[in-house]
Amino acid sequence: WFLAWMGLEINTMAIIPLMAQQHHPRATEAATKYFLTQATAAAMILFASTTNAWITGDWNIPQTSHPAATSLLTLALALKIGLAPMHFWLPEVLQGLNLTTGLILSTWQKLAPFILIYQIAPNTNPTILTSMGILSTLIGGWGGLNQTQLRKILAYSSIAHLGWMITILHFMPALTLLNLTIYIIMTSTMFLSLKSLSATKINSLAITWPKTPILTVMTMLSLLSLGGLPPLTGFMPKWLILQELTKQNLPILATIMAMSALLSLFFYLR
Amino acid sequence: MTSVHFSFSSAFTLGLMGLAFHRTHLLSALLCLEGMMLSLFIALSLWALQLQTIMFSAAPMLLLAFSACEASAGLALLVATARTHGTDHLQNLNLLQC
Repeated sequence: WFLAWMGLEINTMAIIPLMAQQHHPRATEAATKYFLTQATAAAMILFASTTNAWITGDWNIPQTSHPAATSLLTLALALKIGLAPMHFWLPEVLQGLNLTTGLILSTWQKLAPFILIYQIAPNTNPTILTSMGILSTLIGGWGGLNQTQLRKILAYSSIAHLGWMITILHFMPALTLLNLTIYIIMTSTMFLSLKSLSATKINSLAITWPKTPILTVMTMLSLLSLGGLPPLTGFMPKWLILQELTKQNLPILATIMAMSALLSLFFYLR
Repeated sequence: MTSVHFSFSSAFTLGLMGLAFHRTHLLSALLCLEGMMLSLFIALSLWALQLQTIMFSAAPMLLLAFSACEASAGLALLVATARTHGTDHLQNLNLLQC
């Protein structure tokens, strides 16, 4: 666990200068908020693993077995990736960064905590995981409805996607990894196309069609894919996840998640 | 739960509460973070003693080194915030609201 913690700390410290590179007050403020949340989460991770070591005498990651320790670990890792109810830092931090740094934040930074979550998944309390997952999809959908800033929209979409991934973690972890991979690819596409358009608000997206119509079409397609419509790749993980949920006799859960996907789709289409 | 365990758990929890509910100054958040790291350092050192092994003895020193790096990064950010925002009052960190 100790090496995992060190890796997470190095990750945080490496990202901070990248975020604060632009000497704009917004960037500095975003970097500060990000640093505080990530440092808190890393300290909580170490505390949970130390508690587990005191109680069970075990320091290996897959054998964290004490329930209090795993609950605290789940909360701390959720804080690290921006999962509800600990998501409040994500839209503001993403808003303060330029698009490339925001890309790194949304994709690369999610990999390390996800690997840890994946490894401790068999020992965790499934109620916490699934309730955080549903809450994330709902908050990701509702929170993005009134946004005009593109980076905040992408932040709420990230929250919703992470909610989908966490929900299926207990039942079939392979789907979580598949969803994560597809999400990384789609979000990278979105960020890169927004960067080449230099667009940060919905209004600037609306005037791009005379300049580069092909890129505008690509952006629209990738947005629809993020929303999860059938002919595009984004539908595949959602379909598989819903299928898995219905196999486990949880139709109510599946319905709630499908409804919240509709909410996200609405603000993508704007 | 032994008394040692309880003591560093309560130290960590107090620091965490202080970090979560800091009200005016950013510096108090950084101090709470350092307090949490310190309680973890004590916990790791005493755990190595508890197990009577010498295997994990380097871990507390590494933790100390990393927490020092974190503190310095936090202080650098505090200085940057003071340069751009004027003070480190938390009410001034509101440029990114919806």
